[in-house]
Amino acid sequence: MLQFITKRTATLLAAVAVSSFAVFLIPYVTPGDPVRKIIRSRVAGDAIDESSVHAVAQSLGLDDPLAVQYFRWLGNFFTGDMGLSYSSRTPVAEQVLPALAVTLSLVAMSLGLAAAVALPLGIISGLRPGSLPDKAITAVTQAFIAMPEYWVAPVLVLVFALKLSVLPTAGWNDLSSAVLPALTLALRPISFFTSAVRAGIIDAAAAEHVPAARARGLSSAQSVLRHVIPNGLVPLSTLFAVWFAGLLGGSVIVEVIFAVPGMGRLLFDSLVNSDIPLAQGGVVLVVALAVGVTTLADFVHRFLSPTVGGSLA
Amino acid sequence: MSARLVLEDLEVRRKDDDGGPGGKPLLAGVSLAVDPGEFVALVGSSGSGKTLTSRSCLRLLPPQLQITGGSIRLGDLDLTRAAEPELNTVRGGRLAMLFQQPKRMFNPNRTIGSHLKEPLRLHAGLRGRKARDKAVELLAEVGFADPAKGIRAYPHQLSGGMAQRAMTALALAGQPEMLLADEPTSALDKVLERQVLQLLDRERRQRGLGILYITHNLASVAAYADRVLVMNAGRIVEEGPAGELLTRPKTGYARDLLAAAQLAPETRRRPSPAEREVLVLDRVGKRFGRKRTGTVLEDVSLSLRRGEILGVLGQSGSGKSTLAKAIVGLDAASSGTINRQFDGGTRQPTAVQLVFQEPHNAFDPRMTLRASLQAPLRPRRDLSPDQRDERIAAALQEVELDPLLLDKRPGQCSGGQLQRATIARALLLEPQVLICDEATSALDALTQRTILNLLLRLQREHNLSLIVISHDMDVVRYMCDRVAVLLHGKVVEVAETRDFFAAPQHPHSRALVDASIPCRADGLWTLLDARNPALRGN
Repeated sequence: MLQFITKRTATLLAAVAVSSFAVFLIPYVTPGDPVRKIIRSRVAGDAIDESSVHAVAQSLGLDDPLAVQYFRWLGNFFTGDMGLSYSSRTPVAEQVLPALAVTLSLVAMSLGLAAAVALPLGIISGLRPGSLPDKAITAVTQAFIAMPEYWVAPVLVLVFALKLSVLPTAGWNDLSSAVLPALTLALRPISFFTSAVRAGIIDAAAAEHVPAARARGLSSAQSVLRHVIPNGLVPLSTLFAVWFAGLLGGSVIVEVIFAVPGMGRLLFDSLVNSDIPLAQGGVVLVVALAVGVTTLADFVHRFLSPTVGGSLA
Repeated sequence: MSARLVLEDLEVRRKDDDGGPGGKPLLAGVSLAVDPGEFVALVGSSGSGKTLTSRSCLRLLPPQLQITGGSIRLGDLDLTRAAEPELNTVRGGRLAMLFQQPKRMFNPNRTIGSHLKEPLRLHAGLRGRKARDKAVELLAEVGFADPAKGIRAYPHQLSGGMAQRAMTALALAGQPEMLLADEPTSALDKVLERQVLQLLDRERRQRGLGILYITHNLASVAAYADRVLVMNAGRIVEEGPAGELLTRPKTGYARDLLAAAQLAPETRRRPSPAEREVLVLDRVGKRFGRKRTGTVLEDVSLSLRRGEILGVLGQSGSGKSTLAKAIVGLDAASSGTINRQFDGGTRQPTAVQLVFQEPHNAFDPRMTLRASLQAPLRPRRDLSPDQRDERIAAALQEVELDPLLLDKRPGQCSGGQLQRATIARALLLEPQVLICDEATSALDALTQRTILNLLLRLQREHNLSLIVISHDMDVVRYMCDRVAVLLHGKVVEVAETRDFFAAPQHPHSRALVDASIPCRADGLWTLLDARNPALRGN
């Protein structure tokens, strides 16, 4: 187990290191000299004094070797100094962290909603595959896959906000303003979770140890509660983490449409404005969080399913 | 307090599409009784309805089957009429069941202790600390050296033998009066089989537990059973006291079963010592991981002559299958050399072929047998499509398999048919060495006999060299010229078969030979010699 934890933690760190280095390189591989970009972002006017280029480069340490710059940048990053945004000239951290908080709560709400809907539906489907309820649930949830967010979002806006006037369509103020974006974001996870739970339950119910449990005197319901449902839900932990990680950066469309001041929107804006420090800070944070969540899910999965790894204790 | 289990005229049929009884009965007129403290054996080849009978007693038939006639009574209780809640108090309580394949009968995500707590709560009303203490006690009773650790173990951490002991503890937890034991030992080697059967025998002596023992292993029947029932095609065809039925079977079917169970060593043309060696293993080792505990094979040195049949004996986990994989080249050895001296040079990757244990797992379930048999010939560009078909047809003829089966899928074939197909597939590539890894241990005695004879004939006609890997002493004695014994990845003894069985040298070899219940050609009485107290360990 200890070996597993160290291995996974090492993988996590490696993933963060590689992706952060890639992100760090962005200003060097995009056209133009980074020093000039920085000066241009701070000084009005087109003319750039060559001596100031040299001075700025030296004062910011941009003439040091790349490796030195990278580690300085990384060190600063994790002590909370993510640099200055080009466009707003405020510290990146001050923009990124609130945005991350907004996105985290949006993602948590939509995945919570998705799980709350998908668990009962998937269990009902999986326990009676081929039945009428199963067919209905499968048809409806599978249809969600085919509904892109940029289509669902306007439709929800039209129905709930404009026709019924019950929910706000934009902003991030109270819980009611979170309903539509969370719902939009939840639809596809609902369909994936439902089919995963359904498949997991069908597999778990077919296992030979289930009739063996009946032979010990467990009623049909008891055997389902103890041996079918818990086993059927194990695969969900990994899927849940993958979606969590995916939505952290994948909520752009929804955030833009509903004007939610979250991470996706921030990254979108930073790219539109070529605000490289902001983009760097946001991306590294999202990557670190995504890798962290999937690693955590691996631990949870390992805990739920003792046969994974198959080591003899 | 203890009650008889009585089945009268039991009939089971498959439900037809509208839910009514349809088709031929799968069980017809099955009547039997088991008294308290009695050890009754139910024998027959696979598909004869033995398992269906035991599942009927617990009213746990697959949903598409139903009981359409007769009655099952436990004491005064008519199980065929009892309602679900009442049945739940009987299942695992008064009437418990032991299963084949113990490891698959545990929930892999729960500990052994968690399993044991179920019957303890349901049938003995024990919870929490008391249930835990009782679970530890039960594991100690079935022979766990460290029962406190045992209840915290997950099923995959137990060996096959320990899993069957845990399953036995689970069955005994509800203090049953009657035990249905459905081939509880067929996945175990002989040493473990004997331990489990001794455990059951002790329970019936000490507590008057009635046992219905379902098996196709007649040697164990001879050693333990009071009465024997022979089942064929859903009917009881013969019954009687064990001694009488096993020595003077009345029906032809029972005689066939007995003959098949007794694998007498036949006189076979033995390969001359002058035949050259086709395979020489020199200090072959295999390790997984870095630690010492990961060593599966250590310094295995063996040789195989042309036309020779070498038996490799060993208990589960001794490294037999790893050895087979190393020889075929599926999994490279970590150390040592394997020298191959085949006709037509050493570089013939297909000259060694493998016949697998579980024929159902050796085929892709979605492919027809034709597609599965064509696959190994696909890289042979030198053969035209017609030549390939001819080869497949010839191989089928060799293994006496109906060409009509080619268009079936594995699920539609019997274990015996599939094992023939596995052998045919191995023959397609014209092997010189055939490795049979427990090739018949998943088959019933009758089918096993025909497959072994098929292998012997092929060996004779093609002058093949065979490596027969088995935990079944009778199979090894029946087939092999020489025997190698594997223990914890090391070869502890190599001897001529005759010498080996007459005087095994290594203590482990002696344990293996002693555990096997002798079954010789010189008459059926030897079966009953096995019914002696020393062998039973009482």
